Formats: sequence, C-alpha cells, structure tokens
Amino acid sequence: MAIKTILIIEDDRFIGEMYVRSLKKAGYDVDWMVDGNDGLIAARNKPYDVMLLDVMLPERRGSEILQILRGGVEDLIPGTKVVVLTNFDQTEQARQAMEQHADGYLIKAEITPKKLLAVIEKLED
Amino acid sequence: MAIETRSESELLNRFWPRYRRLTLLRVVFSQLIIVALVVTVVLMLYPDPPLYAWVVIVLLGAISFVLTFMVVNMSMRPLRDLSNALVHVSGEPSAATPPNLNDSYFVRSRLRPLLKLVYDMATNQPNADAADADGQEPTVDLQAQLNHTSTGLVMMDAAGNITYANKSAPVSIDGQGKKSLELIFDVDPNIDEWRNERGEHDIHAEKAWRRIANKLTGEPDRRLFDVYVSYEKGSEAETIITLFDRTGEYQPEDDDLDFIAFAAHELRGPITVIRGYLDALNDELADVASGDQKELFQRLIVSANRLSGYVNNILNASRFDRRHLKVHLQEQTVADIYDTIADDMQMRAQAQQRLLSVDFPEGLPTVATDLNSMSEVLGNLIDNAIKYSNDGGSIEVTAGVNGDFVEIAVTDHGIGMPANVIANLFHKFYRSHRSRETVAGTGIGLYISKAIVESNGGKIGVRSVEGHGSTFTVSLPVYATVADKLTGGGINNQDFIERSSSGWIKNHGAFRG
Repeated sequence: MAIKTILIIEDDRFIGEMYVRSLKKAGYDVDWMVDGNDGLIAARNKPYDVMLLDVMLPERRGSEILQILRGGVEDLIPGTKVVVLTNFDQTEQARQAMEQHADGYLIKAEITPKKLLAVIEKLED
Repeated sequence: MAIETRSESELLNRFWPRYRRLTLLRVVFSQLIIVALVVTVVLMLYPDPPLYAWVVIVLLGAISFVLTFMVVNMSMRPLRDLSNALVHVSGEPSAATPPNLNDSYFVRSRLRPLLKLVYDMATNQPNADAADADGQEPTVDLQAQLNHTSTGLVMMDAAGNITYANKSAPVSIDGQGKKSLELIFDVDPNIDEWRNERGEHDIHAEKAWRRIANKLTGEPDRRLFDVYVSYEKGSEAETIITLFDRTGEYQPEDDDLDFIAFAAHELRGPITVIRGYLDALNDELADVASGDQKELFQRLIVSANRLSGYVNNILNASRFDRRHLKVHLQEQTVADIYDTIADDMQMRAQAQQRLLSVDFPEGLPTVATDLNSMSEVLGNLIDNAIKYSNDGGSIEVTAGVNGDFVEIAVTDHGIGMPANVIANLFHKFYRSHRSRETVAGTGIGLYISKAIVESNGGKIGVRSVEGHGSTFTVSLPVYATVADKLTGGGINNQDFIERSSSGWIKNHGAFRG
C-alpha cells in the first residue's frame, strides 16, 4: 500500500511543525490538528493512510480517540494505520489497550524525523 | 471485663490505700489514748516520778507502737491481696502486682482458695454471661470494637490458615472462601516463610516488617503498614499479626517517586524537539557546513542522545523502585540488541575520539531478552567505557557462550578501578571520587542496568585493574534453555517466570520504551 496522506494529532507546536516539515519534504500530504476533538473529526471526515496520534491532548485524549475509532464493533478507519507517539509514561494496562488498536507505539523523544520516515516506510510493507 | 469511666470515688483500686491509712490512723490514735491513760495513772500514784520512769514509759510506748503496727499490717495482708486480685480481674489500671496463687504464703494462710475463686469467677464464661443476663455488668463486644480500630489484627492457626481478621486487616478472600493476607513483601523472608522456619526452630518468636504495601503504587486503596508478628508454638492462634496503618507517613515518599517520573516526562518534550531539529538541520546543512561546524553538530547530537538516555535511566529507576519495571522476554540475537544503538554508539565514540570495535562471533545462540531495555543497558555500558577511557583509546564489544548463558563483554583500556570502588559500583547514585571530578553522569546508569539485567534473568559483572581498564559483562540466558518457560505461560507471557535460585524474578510482562 502506498502511503500518501497523513494526519498528525499533536498539541506541541514545535513537535507538530517538526513532523509536518519533514513529512511534507518527503512528499506526503499532511494535515495537522492540535486538539483531540478536531483530530477526531478530521479522522472521521477523510480517510487517511496514516494517523500519528499523541496521547496527552486537549479536549480528548488520544486513548479516547482511538477507542471511539477502533474500540466499537465496526472499525471506523479501516484503511488507516495508526502510530501512537507519546512521551507520557502510561500504565501498563492503558498502554496495552492502545497498542491493541494501533500499528505502532513509540516514544517521541526517541523518534527523530528521520526515524519517523523510516517507520512510515515500514508501514507500507 | 468491663472497663467503664467511673468517678474517682468509684474506682476499685482506691479502696485499699484508703482503708489501710484509716486503720493505721485508728491504731495510732488508740495507742496515744493508752499512753495518755498510763501516764495519768502513774502521775496519780507517783506525783513526782524520777527521770528513769519517764524513759521507761517512752520506751515501752515506742515498742508497743512498733509491735502494733507490725501486727496490724500482717493481719491486713489478706485484705490487701483480695483487694488487689479484685482490682486485677476488673481490668482497672493499677500499679500493684496481682497476687500470685503459687505464693507459699497463700497456701499457709489458707487464703489460696479464696483468691482462686476470685480469679476463676473472672475467667469463667458462664458466670460472666450470667452477669450479662442480669444486666448488672455490661461487657464489650470485642469483635465489634476491633472492627472500629484502624489497626489490622490477624490470627493464624498452626497450618497458616487465617482464623480471625478484623475489618482493617488487608485480607482477601478467594473463590473457595479461603482468606489470605494481601501484602506485597519486597524483602525476604515474607511472613509465611518466616512462620514456616519458626515451626522448626522456635517456641516463641517475634518479628517486625516496615513499610509493607497491600497494593502496587497507583492502585486504589493502597495502604502501607508496619507489620508486627508474634509466634507462640502450640497456641490456638499460633501467629498473631498486628498491622499499623502508616500510609499517611509513608505515602509522601511514594509521591516523590511519582514526581520523578513526572519530571522526566516533562524533560522529554524539549528533548524531542532538540533531537528532531538537530537531525533535520544536520541533514539540511550537510553541504554548507565546514568540517568544524559538522563536528559541533555531532557533539550536539551526541549530547542530546545522552540526555535522552539519562532520562530513560531515571524513568526506569523510578519504575524499578516502585516495582513497575516490566520486561518482555523474546528471542533475540545479540547483534539485534546492538543494532538498535549502533549508529548512536559509533557517533558517540567518534565524537570523543574513541575507537569502538564490535565483534560478535558467527553462530552465537539466540538469547531471551527484552530488546528495548537491554539495548539501554548495552548503551549505558558502552557510554561508560567511552567516558572512562582516554582519547584515542579503544573499546571492544564481544560476546561468547558461557554455559547456559551468552556473555556480552564491553572492555575499555582506560582508568580502571580499585577493588573498593567495584564493591559499590552498582549502588544507586554511587559515583567514585575520581569519576565525580572528571566525568559527568548521574550515578544511576549501572544501578538500573543491574536491575534490568537481573529482571531479564541475567547477570552483570565487572573485572577491572586500576590504571589498565575495565571489562563489564552481561550474561543473558540462551533462548533454548528457557524457551519452554517463555512459551508455557500463554500469549502474553504474563507471570511466566517465578523466583528461583537462578535469579528469575516474578511479574514479567510487557515492557517497551
């Protein structure tokens, strides 16, 4: 599957801009949402190939967004790969719950833009 | 027996001192009257008695005083003993020792049966019930009262079954109705182990544990106890456990640990930005930057990576201290572990002019380990080797099979350490005198490395010669030797490892990042 469109839900401006900048340079179509509500609406309105999801977000936490999109009977975003990106140390249960509905779970501090590109390339396989 | 709030005059223990005082006063008074009468009679018969007659009168008076005193005291003793016995069985506080039935005096004086009757009446249940029924002496409902205290009380029989537990005691009941203590012992021995040992060695024993939690940090209704246990062989309640709830006192320390985890996460935000932007700038300026500037970039990147590693160490140490460190053991090759940090380590070595050579032999067996945390351990060891060696020095990373383990060795030819330093090396915040002066660091890297390696079922060690360098070794179990344990515990591998002599520890679940 060729990845073209990416949705970033990230409230830290520096980090958000960093991802947007490097992903756009690499030729992806990128939408960036700052709060959890907007992020959820964006995800439901447009089928993205990849969603980069923060956990600690204003309005709605990332775990909640994922639960709404993937936790029900029907997968609301069947064509989307979800990568959770967080610096927040979640409890083991919360982390496992998110991992169950995600294609990746990464610590932001360990992921430079270059590594992020490598991760997205891997998702294509 | 009932203990009621009584007014001063109603207290049982007030009777005897008052009675004794009054009796002695009466005796003294009557003696004085007798002496006065004797003096009057003498003066009537001999109006002018000589001096010696007065001396004789005074002397006789004094002797009779002393004798009367002694006789009265002796005669009153049974009354004192009966009074003390009654005060004792009433449960009223008293400084006096209750009379001992085995005292020979009681046998001689035939008082023993009377005292025995007093004691028997106090302990005899039917009598006490009769008193209750008459409503004359209300007794305390012990069970109800014990459920009102915040102190936990647990009694166990000889088989270790809980025969009684009050409401405050941290006790859980399983499906079969079997009660068990809900306490997490992080020290050896725990209560059960200690009890079992007592059965073989002691008649009577006591032991105290401090700061024992009933639940893990973060779980609701977590309480912290000081636990006191007394053991009396052959007694109906052989083991009696008293648990003092000290949550208020100990909880703030736990909050400090939470604070560390919280602060570490705050640090990760800016680190993400610094590492990310450096990564981007380094790429984009590659064509225009001079050789010097490139080196400065490299140093920035290396430092940012180190900072990130330190934050991970602090987080892991905080998790470990709160017993939250989890590892997820999987089949890995040693090369896999190193590959995750290879670029970073080569860059660090290069930035500090060290030669890092890595050589893993072909055909090395796979190991059972947690990839993420083990790569952090290897990173810590290589980083230390870089820090504690000299410019231009070489660092070798090798591996080999040693019994059921694969041993990874990180060798430097730097400053080395004397034996007294090695003994403390793996302690938290330990930094040798010399390392404090010359090398930056947190003193937490080796502490958490040891914790991680041991959580992986491995061993960490060090050989060092002062002035010649050090070799740190990490031994990880060969996957084939533990594969059955890893796959036997279900999909999630939860709780598949039990504590045993080989150093496995409990509670291994998933661990990432």
